[in-house]
Amino acid sequence: MALLEVENLQTHFRTPDGVNRAVDGVSFHVNAGETVAIVGESGCGKSVTSMSILRLIPEPPGKIAGAIRFEGRDLLKLSDREMRDIRGNEISMIFQEPMTSLNPVLTVGRQIGETLRLHQGLSRQQAEEKAVEMLTLVGIPEPRRRVREYPHQLSGGMRQRVMIAIALACNPKLLIADEPTTALDVTIQAQILELMRDLKHRVGAAIVLITHDLGVVAEVAERVIVMYAGKKVEEAAVGPLFNNPKHPYTQGLLGSMPKLGSSLHGDETRLAEIPGLVPSLKAKIPGCVFASRCPHATDLCRQVAPALEEKAPGHVAACHYATKEGAIAA
Amino acid sequence: MFAYVVRRVLATIPVMALVALFVFSLLYIAPGDPAAVIAGDQATPQDVERIRASLGLDRPYLVRFGAWVWGILNGDMGTSIFTNLPVTTMIAQRIEPTLSLMVLTLILAVSIAVPMGVLAAWKQGTLIDRAVMGFAVLGFSVPVFVVGYLLAYVFALELDWLPVQGYTAFSNGFFPWLENLILPSVALGGVYIALIARITRATMLEVLQQDYIRTARAKGAGQSSILFLHALKNAAVPIVTVIGIGIALLIGGAVVTESVFAIPGLGRLTVDAILRRDYPVIQGVVLLFSFVYVLVNLLIDLAYTLFDPRIRY
Amino acid sequence: MASATVLSPAQAAPPPGVAAAAPMPDVLPPVKPKKGFIGFIRRNPTMAIGGFLLLLMVLVAIFAPLLWTTDPTALAPARRTREPSAMYWFGTDMLGRDVYSRVLYGARVSLIVGFSVAILSSIIGLTIGMISGYIRLADSIIMRIMDGLMSIPPILLAIALMALTRGSVQNVIIAITIAEIPRVSRLVRGVVLSLREQPYVEAAVAAGTRTPMIIWRHILPNTLAPITVQATYICAAAMITEAILSFIGAGTPPIIPSWGNIMAEGRALWQVKPYIVFFPAVFLSITVLAVNLLGDGLRDALDPRMAKRL
Repeated sequence: MALLEVENLQTHFRTPDGVNRAVDGVSFHVNAGETVAIVGESGCGKSVTSMSILRLIPEPPGKIAGAIRFEGRDLLKLSDREMRDIRGNEISMIFQEPMTSLNPVLTVGRQIGETLRLHQGLSRQQAEEKAVEMLTLVGIPEPRRRVREYPHQLSGGMRQRVMIAIALACNPKLLIADEPTTALDVTIQAQILELMRDLKHRVGAAIVLITHDLGVVAEVAERVIVMYAGKKVEEAAVGPLFNNPKHPYTQGLLGSMPKLGSSLHGDETRLAEIPGLVPSLKAKIPGCVFASRCPHATDLCRQVAPALEEKAPGHVAACHYATKEGAIAA
Repeated sequence: MFAYVVRRVLATIPVMALVALFVFSLLYIAPGDPAAVIAGDQATPQDVERIRASLGLDRPYLVRFGAWVWGILNGDMGTSIFTNLPVTTMIAQRIEPTLSLMVLTLILAVSIAVPMGVLAAWKQGTLIDRAVMGFAVLGFSVPVFVVGYLLAYVFALELDWLPVQGYTAFSNGFFPWLENLILPSVALGGVYIALIARITRATMLEVLQQDYIRTARAKGAGQSSILFLHALKNAAVPIVTVIGIGIALLIGGAVVTESVFAIPGLGRLTVDAILRRDYPVIQGVVLLFSFVYVLVNLLIDLAYTLFDPRIRY
Repeated sequence: MASATVLSPAQAAPPPGVAAAAPMPDVLPPVKPKKGFIGFIRRNPTMAIGGFLLLLMVLVAIFAPLLWTTDPTALAPARRTREPSAMYWFGTDMLGRDVYSRVLYGARVSLIVGFSVAILSSIIGLTIGMISGYIRLADSIIMRIMDGLMSIPPILLAIALMALTRGSVQNVIIAITIAEIPRVSRLVRGVVLSLREQPYVEAAVAAGTRTPMIIWRHILPNTLAPITVQATYICAAAMITEAILSFIGAGTPPIIPSWGNIMAEGRALWQVKPYIVFFPAVFLSITVLAVNLLGDGLRDALDPRMAKRL
């Protein structure tokens, strides 16, 4: 049994001018100890998917449907109380903005300690001791001094380390990292990724990594899910996905990624871009969600939504024309 | 920190001096002969002369201002034209009821309004939120004395639960004191509650949108901890600021409330002084209230560090 | 690509061999955006209600003589303190005057005071705020003076001013206006200072646009929205202050039927004849409520970002 099974997840929002179908029928699973990346452009529903797993979507105006099974239990059926016991304890989360994700008026120690006091019933003193330990673990120098400090006294990289310390304090089985490095400097990015990889091995947690950065994906993920306009359009292990992408959208994404050492060859190295914009999620799209931007789209694509099909072992894609043996016949 | 406090305290001195200058000058920027205006329409020339002399109107303006300020610094606010008592004595006699009323109202209003605003923000868009917002707009719209009469009519005259009017000194016991102050406090508190509830809701709504609230939820923190620990502490600075500014409403409202409930306080003194055109008394009361207002807001400014560690002086 | 089956638009079912995704059910009921006049009212209910009530009060004030009123100042000692009846809808006061007529005419005083103070303090505040936001030397002096004025609670300032002048509607308007000016000036100054930092204003300055032109084109239009909202709140506050001043005997002369005066006269008798206080109180509250609702609605409509907050 997989650690996490998401089945037909739909997360919709009520807005004054229509229902926004941010996530519309996404299924995937995460095995224990595995690192799965969810990639896509901003607005494709990847963050909403991750927030839905922990039920952090305000309801109303949002509504989550489908099933999210964690160790066999459907999280959507749990009471608020039961859900709180899971958050920060068995499943924890790291967010994109380290500058704003920590509470400015509480000390770092108190914020790390809060998780421990909530889930492990530690006293204030024990929690602070453990917080010092956690700060050491995530590589913050002078942890004894730092626990008493406030977030504004720390740099961005340090704050993200604190976020990681908070997330890992209770040894979660699943860590959801929503763009954990996007807001950081490139050098700090590498350090944080390294730290996550290192700690993952130590703690043994599975990771769901939400990112738009394919470089990060290639470095840390084992399996990749590609999302577009609220739907999963492709899923495969990292190697096959990068070497043999089936879905035109994935091909577009990879084409728009700069490759090292290819920039000196003039015209042909121009980054490919995907023309057009992500469609509005407020209107129902009858056919394939990518048809409006797809270079290969036909009337069939515009009328019939393609099902996810296994195009190669362990490699699924939702495209009428993605051939089973290779890329699109073009 | 200490240097900052000293600087802030010193900075209020020019403000207070300016207030004193305004209050003093009001008498002389008004059109016509101040002595005649104060004396009223039925005054004899002798009355006008007497007032002119008692106000020292025969001396040059700056000399008078200097003497007046010097007097205030020495605890002398002049003499009432009507009773011939020193203004400070009259104020001292009337200060307890007003202080009681305002402190009680402050406590009552803050302890009702802040939870109300938090609740409304938490339940944004629901019936509860609308009820709170509806109450707030009513609080701004129904004048203090209307609320006062309404409360007195229902709870004192019809139900006979509380005394209609009057004041009992604190020295006569806590409960008799409280009994007389409940209705005036509620009446006076209405607009203040509306103001604080509204700013609390607005600030909380903004804070609840912040990323660190999402982090707290993701940690498994409970609703009350999110609202009162994570959010309210971040919302404290604007709320406390408005509580301080709102004291102006309490001061203005106290004048009216004391009239409605026949409380012998400074507000009542002001009204009587107006009717008698007893200008030294009016000056004294306005000056006192303004100084208190400035000082309270100074203290609040200095208290910001308690709520937000990012604020450093 | 050549192998693609081309479907005619009319064809609904997928052709054989094409795997169609199962359609997703609706999780939430559909939302229909409202348009037109009804839509406007549904989106801005506060503005609609406030505007309607205020319009009603304005009509009452204008057409008071036609609304079955009698002379509001006519004394009739023979029919003192009558309870409300078919003859005297709101009863009569201690001098036998018809409370209904007095209350209707009282709307005139309140509205005139409210509107005049709102307009005057906006214009003066706008001017002072502009000067303060543009002339550095004037700024520090003006703002010190405003600080001083704002340190005196507004009602007390108005009381102190009124204590020195003979009661008249004009003096009440002046006194309340003086008390309200600092707030408007500060608001305008704040807006001006933040606008001057805006890239498009800086660009206009860099391009050599003259200051009066910048004020006319960029600054003034952007201050209008906040100042309009502020003006409605000032109008509401001024009506309350007028009533308070009259109520404590420092407002309009007793001969003028203003709501504050009617209540002041009913004060002595309020325990036995509460209706004399009741009717003007209700009218005053409704009028102020109408203006406040209008202000809230305006603020929501003019500043969508603020709408969610306050």
